[in-house]
Amino acid sequence: MDRMNALWQRLRALFGREKFSHDLDREIQFHLDQQIAESIAAGLSPDQARIAARKLFGNHTATKEDAWEAWGWGWLEHLLQDIRFALRQLKKSPGFTTTAVLTLALGIGANAAIFTLVDAVLMKNLPVSDPKTLVKIGNTNDCCINSGVLNDGNYSLFSTEFFDRLRKNASEFEDIAAIQAGFRFEPLVARRAATQETPRSAVGEFVSENYFRTFGLKPAAGRLFLDSDGGKGAPSIAVMSYQQWRNLYNRDSSVIGSTFWINTKAVTVVGVAPQGFYGDRISAMPPDFYFPLQSMVTLQGSTFINDPDTNWLYLIGRVKPGVSTNALQAKVDAILRQTLTETKTYSSEKYKKYLDRIHTVLVPGGTGIQELRDQYETNLHLLMAASALVLLIACANIANLLLVRGMRRKVELSIRSAIGAGRGRIVRQLLTESVVLSLLGGIAGLALAYFGAQLLLTLAFPDATKLPIQAQPSLPVIGFAFGLSLLTGILFGIAPAWIAAKTEPAEALRTGIRGTATGATVLQQALVVTQAALSLVLLVGAGLFSQSLEKLRSADLKLDSRNRYIAHISPQAAGFKTTELEPLYRSIQQQLHQLPGVKNVGLSTYTPLEDNNISNGVQIQGQSETDESASVIRVSPEYFDSVGTKVLAGRGIQIRDTSSAPPVAVVNESFVKGFFPKGENPIGRRFGSPGRESSGAFEIVGVVNDTAYTSARWKDHRMYFIANLQRPAFTKVPVEEDLSLYAGAIVLETQSPVSNLEELTRKALSQINPNLAVLKFQTFDRQIADNFNDDRMLARLTQLFGSLALVLAAIGLYGVTAYTVARRTSEIGIRIALGAQRGGVLAMVLRGAMSQTLIGLAIGIPVVLLCVRFVESQLYEIKGVDFRVMLVAVASLAIASAFAGLIPARRAVSTDPAQILTAE
Amino acid sequence: MGKPNDLVQGTLDLLILKTVALEPKHGWAIAKRIEQISSNVLQVQQGSLYPALNRLERKGWIKAKWAETETGREAKFYSLTASGKVQLEKEAANWARLSSAINVILQES
Repeated sequence: MDRMNALWQRLRALFGREKFSHDLDREIQFHLDQQIAESIAAGLSPDQARIAARKLFGNHTATKEDAWEAWGWGWLEHLLQDIRFALRQLKKSPGFTTTAVLTLALGIGANAAIFTLVDAVLMKNLPVSDPKTLVKIGNTNDCCINSGVLNDGNYSLFSTEFFDRLRKNASEFEDIAAIQAGFRFEPLVARRAATQETPRSAVGEFVSENYFRTFGLKPAAGRLFLDSDGGKGAPSIAVMSYQQWRNLYNRDSSVIGSTFWINTKAVTVVGVAPQGFYGDRISAMPPDFYFPLQSMVTLQGSTFINDPDTNWLYLIGRVKPGVSTNALQAKVDAILRQTLTETKTYSSEKYKKYLDRIHTVLVPGGTGIQELRDQYETNLHLLMAASALVLLIACANIANLLLVRGMRRKVELSIRSAIGAGRGRIVRQLLTESVVLSLLGGIAGLALAYFGAQLLLTLAFPDATKLPIQAQPSLPVIGFAFGLSLLTGILFGIAPAWIAAKTEPAEALRTGIRGTATGATVLQQALVVTQAALSLVLLVGAGLFSQSLEKLRSADLKLDSRNRYIAHISPQAAGFKTTELEPLYRSIQQQLHQLPGVKNVGLSTYTPLEDNNISNGVQIQGQSETDESASVIRVSPEYFDSVGTKVLAGRGIQIRDTSSAPPVAVVNESFVKGFFPKGENPIGRRFGSPGRESSGAFEIVGVVNDTAYTSARWKDHRMYFIANLQRPAFTKVPVEEDLSLYAGAIVLETQSPVSNLEELTRKALSQINPNLAVLKFQTFDRQIADNFNDDRMLARLTQLFGSLALVLAAIGLYGVTAYTVARRTSEIGIRIALGAQRGGVLAMVLRGAMSQTLIGLAIGIPVVLLCVRFVESQLYEIKGVDFRVMLVAVASLAIASAFAGLIPARRAVSTDPAQILTAE
Repeated sequence: MGKPNDLVQGTLDLLILKTVALEPKHGWAIAKRIEQISSNVLQVQQGSLYPALNRLERKGWIKAKWAETETGREAKFYSLTASGKVQLEKEAANWARLSSAINVILQES
């Protein structure tokens, strides 16, 4: 109670200072009056009494000050005073302030921007309830449909069988959801029934019926999945994403309960997922629809989903409170091992030995499926390191600027000290100034980070309009930026403040600004040297990444992309059975050949340099069985010409290779190198999947060059090409279920660029079948360029950071040289007066500046040579530092520092010696 | 006897608390009272009285109220709070211990 009252009084003292002062005056006046009255009673005259009372009371103002400070607000008042004074001081030297704030803003802005991206891509939790209790089973992102044994036995992709068993036996989970791993590779064709909508490409994700419950989500409209939706015979239903509902249907409630044609099958939309939920992973193609797992059989004909030997699911569970992770881990491993032991794969004698290795790793699941992490983690960490270097250089600059400023103000500070300012007060004043300065830098940096993060996002994901990543700096990022700037301010404010406070006022006043004729201190020079060394590291890094990008761009991908266009399609989604493909492919080729300027029409499973790969085990007939595999693509007769692959020996796939003709294959050079001894002629030999009979499946009729598929970095990629519809006679999978027969892409080669080819292609295909939608249409060049997005981002950002570093280092050098010149003005004046050549003086100043750069280079070059191996894995065919890259980096640093030194040097020699000497 | 003694640092607080313990008093009365009771041995530095009063008020040991004096003028009267009472007892006990300890040492020699 007393304490509350006291606190109230204390706040009144702070906010009602006027009244406080007035009351105190009244109180003191009363005191004096009492004293006077007493003195008069004792016989003094009123005047004498008044004087005596005042004398007895002492300093009225000081008493008032002390009384006010008794309320404990003195520090605040001093702080405000200091801040006001600091702002006034900073305003007095706009050049210094601008440079310092800009330097800090660049350093902090770059870091906050990168950190924003790191936060959004690597650390952000899914928008679900209580993400902390979610656990993902498996620590890798293997994708998408795998079978066979895993060499390391570390499972992250699972079968439906394992999911069912785990759900039944692991009661430690409140719920455990199964998620189709590779949904983005199988777009759907969707159309709302009973409307004029044209069929469109849509993204659908197949999930277990407890998916939304596991994440603790509530529907935005209608309902989410029920347990009864999960059964094998359950009616086809779907949940629509909120984004789709809003963007396409304007949140129309009649959508709920209406029928959609999904891959030509009727599906009822029962509800809408919550707003802001973008699925279980950050993806440029978030799902438009969610379906129960079992409807994959109806909608996509995927019979493999119930095969215990096929792994295709990611699992995320919510763990009950108080469950020990270690015990749970052991239990999950045991169930996994038991399930796999019973599969056909592990029952074979050959693979039994792998059973012991089987395990999985439980990891926190709140961030969902970390698809982007795999792709960007290394790059983001690299960029974080680069931006940290920029910040370091910026800090060195700030330190230098503050040091120079501290020394310039020696006289001013000495005077203040001489007239009675306490040492502590001066140090506090200087510290306040640098903290105010760095906070200004922090604010500017945050503004920069806002735009920087936006820029980074467009650089990193150029075409992603649907990406659920916010580029706004989050609260932790803002805290990070301000913490960082505050730290910089305090750290680099202390040194100059200390130096300034240490000076004996009399000494400083006597010698004035020429105190020590030695110019810049060792500390300052060390800072400049560090800056030069660090910026060399960044410049070489920028050079290496640019060189790597250039190499990638100019790499011989063994293809021809001129006047080529790629349309992605899905005959399966359009409702075609595998038995209907032969006439379909024929009419696609015929119709598209009718389009103006079309020279070649290729049909294939997938195309060069797209994010896709299908590989099979391979055994050459007559050789022993191995674990080797090769990638396979089904192609049409014109395919090789349409992508520019050259037939080196034998022949390509031809019209005569129909489904009834004997199965043939064309292999690439790496295939020949990998599977045949040197000098052996592969043509005429047979191969197939491992096995006595199956290894005779295809006869090799030709060899083509190594056109790059999947990634430009994939070297020695063994591949074979077979005709669109040929199947070896003994193939076990019935033709109706052989999904590999579906072509996924059409490659069009034209005589010259055709601007409206996309429109023409769409029209031609929809004439064949209205459901035959084009999922994606791009020029071949664009598809290739998309492969280099990450490399381009790295190259551009390291260039940006490199130039930033260069500019900052130049500013640092300029600052120190200018300071040195200012201190040596009179010395230079005397030299010139005594007859020194101006050129000689210029050289002298420049020599001083350049020597620091040279020391920086001497330190930086070995550091660069040592560090380059940390980034080698990110580079394309670059080992060590190229001589030219090093030369360019060294030259730019040398030129920048020459300029930085030249400006103050010219100023030094252009002044009139008489003027300099009389100025004292 | 010569010049009246300045107050030992920190004892002013104790004396103020003791002085206002009986009845509410204004600043001048507090100073006068201390001087009178100590027969002018202790003299309160008038300049330091008011900061001390403010300090004690901030700590919640005394509270202040404007009221009329016998002569009809308005003055600020200070009185002891409950926590001030506790504090007074504590400090008084402390002082007694300290002074008796010093006495013992002085008598030894």
